[in-house]
Amino acid sequence: MSILPAKRAPRRLSVDAAIKTFFGCNALVAIIVLALITIFLFREGSGFFAQNLANLRLYRRAGLEYVDLIRAEAQNHAQLSRELSQIRLQETNETALANFDVFAGAFSNSAEELNGLVSDANDEAVTARDATLESGTVDEQATRALRAAGPRFDEIATSMRAKIDNLISAPPALTSSKAVESLQRWQTATRKYLAHLQATSQQLREWDPNKPIPASRTVTSFLFGNEWITASFWQDWYGIIPLLVGSMMVAAVALIIAVPFGIASAIYVSEVAARGEKSLIKPYIEFISAIPSVVLGFFGIAVVGQAVRAASHMSILRWVSFFPISERLNVFTAGCLLAFMAVPTIFTLSEDALRNVPRGFKEASYALGANRLQTIARVLIPASLSGIVSAALLGLGRVIGETMVVLLCAGNRIAIPDFTQGLGAFFQPVHTMTGIIAQEMGEVVRGSIHYRALFMVGLVLFVLTLGINYLAQRFVARFRMSIG
Amino acid sequence: MIGASSNQKKTRVMERIVFWAFRLATYFVLACASYIFLDIGIKGGRTVFTKAAPFVNVKFLTQWPQTLYVFDYHGQKMELSDSEFRQWKTTHNEDVDLASIAYSAGGIWPCIVGTALLVIGSMTLALIIGISSAIYLSEYSRNGPFIRLVRVAILNLAGVPSIVFGLFGFGLFVIFLGWNVSLISGWFTLGLMVLPAIITASEESLRAVPQGLREGSLALGATKWQTIRKNVLPYALPGILTSSILGIARVAGETAPIMFTAAYAMRDEMPWHVSHWTDFFFQGVMALPYHIYVVSSKIPQNEYTERVQYGTAFVFLVVVMLIALTSILLRERTRSRLSW
Repeated sequence: MSILPAKRAPRRLSVDAAIKTFFGCNALVAIIVLALITIFLFREGSGFFAQNLANLRLYRRAGLEYVDLIRAEAQNHAQLSRELSQIRLQETNETALANFDVFAGAFSNSAEELNGLVSDANDEAVTARDATLESGTVDEQATRALRAAGPRFDEIATSMRAKIDNLISAPPALTSSKAVESLQRWQTATRKYLAHLQATSQQLREWDPNKPIPASRTVTSFLFGNEWITASFWQDWYGIIPLLVGSMMVAAVALIIAVPFGIASAIYVSEVAARGEKSLIKPYIEFISAIPSVVLGFFGIAVVGQAVRAASHMSILRWVSFFPISERLNVFTAGCLLAFMAVPTIFTLSEDALRNVPRGFKEASYALGANRLQTIARVLIPASLSGIVSAALLGLGRVIGETMVVLLCAGNRIAIPDFTQGLGAFFQPVHTMTGIIAQEMGEVVRGSIHYRALFMVGLVLFVLTLGINYLAQRFVARFRMSIG
Repeated sequence: MIGASSNQKKTRVMERIVFWAFRLATYFVLACASYIFLDIGIKGGRTVFTKAAPFVNVKFLTQWPQTLYVFDYHGQKMELSDSEFRQWKTTHNEDVDLASIAYSAGGIWPCIVGTALLVIGSMTLALIIGISSAIYLSEYSRNGPFIRLVRVAILNLAGVPSIVFGLFGFGLFVIFLGWNVSLISGWFTLGLMVLPAIITASEESLRAVPQGLREGSLALGATKWQTIRKNVLPYALPGILTSSILGIARVAGETAPIMFTAAYAMRDEMPWHVSHWTDFFFQGVMALPYHIYVVSSKIPQNEYTERVQYGTAFVFLVVVMLIALTSILLRERTRSRLSW
């Protein structure tokens, strides 16, 4: 010990300590980045709720809400008219059709006054809103003028009710039993509509522009809102539900396809395949995971979308009620492509989980006389189940967060699909959380409510994927314990 | 006895059927992948390769994207790029009925350059930070709350969607730091995105170096840093670099993070044409993945656009897949060689 000069030790130590600190700081980067992501999503998104609340309050104060109450009735009427034209398609007899057309025409004309009222009130409300935005205060006179639509609505509703009552008391005679049945259902719906008119009159009388909107409404209208409407002349809505539903549907299709394929190929490669086969398949599937998502998205537009639509037009698939489909870019197209992206993830992780099952488990099973399939089904899969589940969860995380494929192939229609069609909903275009950010971020004004809403969507996405990741890690932790 | 043997036969048949189902599922996935490669390879190959020497469409690889003009000229169908059309105009002073199709003529040279620049910058950044933190994690750290936190952060960072990285890069680099849409914003966004993969790969390689090498060096009186520099890193570095190549494929292939941080749909100057050298870092670039997005979503699908769409996809796919293939092959080799 005495040979070493005592002085040098502290200096060396300090150099080493400096190096250690340098590396330590780099290790910190991961934490810092995660914190920064959270901070910046919040920083840009946080103003959203205040702006949205002001937006909602203006909606009520300026009377847009009032007009929307009336508009809802006009739209319900239009919906009934559309149903009538659907019924028309089920009828073939010509004389019956001629009578039916007269009936349908009279029905659709009965809303003429209502539609006129809506369009007048619409203009008034927009003027009132713009004036309010400019001056900052509500013009009481404008509100009063707008409220005049209430009594007018009552009058219109009374005359409309009389007209429609008259109409449905003498429905046109139809020959097709299916059409008759539909018409009966339509009549019940129409009676319900007439009854609802009264309720709306009541609502209009009770409506109060100064009724306070609770601050929580801004959060609930974002998290549970059914509409995402931006840059409209009327009222912007930022409800995440259509986007969330779109993301979930695409992810569901992708997982339903990818999980069986991923796990089947993992079992095949780790248990069944010959050595040479294995050394070929494994790198190939890993190779698939390197295909850039934008190339897959392009492939979806150029090939898969066309193929899906062509397949839906084939005569052997005529029995499927929602075929043929009209949109080539829909949930199913995007889901298929995402499944293709998720298979390598699920495959690699499941294969790892299967390989990590101790040899002894397998040998014990063979020693008891089980064959390979029995060993796989009763021993290997149960032993690696949590690993496989976490593989599927990580696949889900990858699918939910994927942007380019859904942006290019999901159809980008911002609406909740029509679930009354059953599985047909999966062949309709949707928009997704990732897609909306990618599509609209480049066009919004910085600091506007729309801009902040997109950051909020990003935050929801971030929290969602963190949650999925957390679940997957929990499953892996349990998996380790079950083996040990 | 007879019942048992028929039962055995049944289970054997069952096993066969199930294994065949597994085999079919596996090969179906491989067939899908092959179909994608073939489709893009064949249709894209028509654009990128030519029948005559030099067998490669040099124009497509070295020119700017241009608008394509299609028109009928005395019964002859003309397809001219913007620059060719202007040339043609000087000799034929006539008005023709034009159909113009954006991006569909010329080549993709600036996109190739932009992607290369983005990859080089972000990988340099990611490798420096990634290897340093891997060294800390495998050589210096003792298991404690701090290290556990770092590991949790790395795991979670790996699961963050790329579009969220894009939003983050936009919020921090583009707006907060005021770098605007620029190369340097893209470098940081992509570099941080690929960081978890680099850290994990590097740590694995570092841990694969046998403990004896470190102990021997320390026993001879070397300091910790000397040990790492002379006896650990040289053996771990090949492994680190090969695993990181897969990170390159990811960086080159991602579109969402650069959409609002670094990529321009069109820019008519090369990145090195800057008035001051610092401007180099603060300019946006064109990039292959973004170009594919633009040409496949902003212009219609028809015979004129297919050329550039498939051509770009082909070039991009070949570049990324070559990188990935190198990584996978090298890894297989190092794995078989590096058995201590």
